[in-house]
Amino acid sequence: MAYIMLTLLIGMVLGVISVASNPSPYFAALGLVLVAGVGCGVLMGHGGSFLSLVLFLIYLGGMLVVFAYCAALAAEPYPEAWGEWSVLGSVLGYLLLVFGGVSWFWGGWYEGAWVPVDELIEFSVVAADSGGVALMYSLGGGLLVVSAWVLLLTLLVVLELTRGLARGA
Amino acid sequence: MNPFVLSILLLSLGLGTTLTFASSHWLLAWMGLEISTLAIIPLMAQHHHPRAVEATTKYFITQAAAAALILFASTTNAWITGQWDINFNLHAFPASLLTMALALKMGLAPVHFWLPEVLQGLDLTTGLILSTWQKLAPFILMCQIMPVNSSLITFLGIASTLVGGWGGLNQTQLRKILAYSSIAHLGWMVLVMQFNQQLALLALVIYIPMTFSTFMIFKTNSSTTMNTLAASWAKTPALTAITPLVLLSLGGLPPLSGFMPKWMILQELTKQDIPLTASVAALSALFSLYFYLRISYAMTLTISPNNLNATTPWRLQTTSSTLPLAISTTISAMLLPLAPATLALLSP
Repeated sequence: MAYIMLTLLIGMVLGVISVASNPSPYFAALGLVLVAGVGCGVLMGHGGSFLSLVLFLIYLGGMLVVFAYCAALAAEPYPEAWGEWSVLGSVLGYLLLVFGGVSWFWGGWYEGAWVPVDELIEFSVVAADSGGVALMYSLGGGLLVVSAWVLLLTLLVVLELTRGLARGA
Repeated sequence: MNPFVLSILLLSLGLGTTLTFASSHWLLAWMGLEISTLAIIPLMAQHHHPRAVEATTKYFITQAAAAALILFASTTNAWITGQWDINFNLHAFPASLLTMALALKMGLAPVHFWLPEVLQGLDLTTGLILSTWQKLAPFILMCQIMPVNSSLITFLGIASTLVGGWGGLNQTQLRKILAYSSIAHLGWMVLVMQFNQQLALLALVIYIPMTFSTFMIFKTNSSTTMNTLAASWAKTPALTAITPLVLLSLGGLPPLSGFMPKWMILQELTKQDIPLTASVAALSALFSLYFYLRISYAMTLTISPNNLNATTPWRLQTTSSTLPLAISTTISAMLLPLAPATLALLSP
């Protein structure tokens, strides 16, 4: 399990580097998808299987739209991938930074720091993440209303910002 | 803008600040800040000329960065201490992060660069909302986290008063001057916040009617540069005569109400035995006083010649409501005798 986690975490760091190294939007979106997928794997490994399912479905659903818009808006005949020198330079720079960070914090993390959720409790019937969802609906009613209001507000904001631009308003 | 959408946006602006005021939990405070940022964005971009859109984009990016930093700091705090409470003692590291994030949100000095640029792109009413109402929520949060790294807070305060004075010196654009004036005033508030929050609140409470009057006077004259103020005497003679009082009150001259917070703050700083900080703050107020005086000079203390037709607009009745401006100019000029009552009103 530790090796799988290690692989996933390394994949996550590499994915973040692949986004941050400023390639063409196609490949940046692809890197973001990679990070999200691998992050869901990490969450699942630490006992958040429901959370990772929600994240995968909803976040990647949003990412799909972003990806489609990126592909539609920023279509380039010769996109810059990670092999280009301009991108590869920053990839190497970020890798160097990561290695610096790793050597600085070496030994600070150990496998005991990765205890999955609920592992230290003696016995629990409900997984922590599904229990958290139940708690959110039972105790956090007001907050849910506020969150729904924020979503409505965001919709109105976006509509108001983009309304009538095509006809020169 | 559609009045229904406008009312929803204004209500959400109120909701965001109220949520931040009422919350004792960092997540809810962050939600309130985000709601008020989101709600003001269509108001800022409502005229849709490139300057306004640029200002809106700058504002959105800075506020989103500051909000992300707040979220990160409060999560770190919850991770370290196991607490989400605002009033619970913060760990030192997230406390410093939060201070910087709130400083970025309010536009305090080392991270103030967005404020003049954003304010310059907006119309005066939205600029007024931005420099008064939008400061309230981060200000209250900053008051609540207050016993934090003292040297950081003092640095923010002194830098803000200095930069607020310095930056405004050579400006001819009124909105930029107002932005720098806002930075300087917030510097005074932050400077005293760690010793006496009542005085910081007093400075804010006095600053709001003063800056309201200034924005409204400029709006009545529909002027955004100093040149156009020269024609003010022909439009609204009475207001032109009162304007120096408001401006010098912003500068903090004695018989006007703007003197009250500066006086109390200097007294508090002296009581805390940091005379050097107090002196630097007092001297930096001179920079601000210089540009307030320059506006007064351009507007009132000289009467620029004009042709005969242009000297008559004052005979026409103004269509906008004058009562709020009358009340706020009176407050910003004549509140000093009520200083004990004002202080007592704000004491906890």
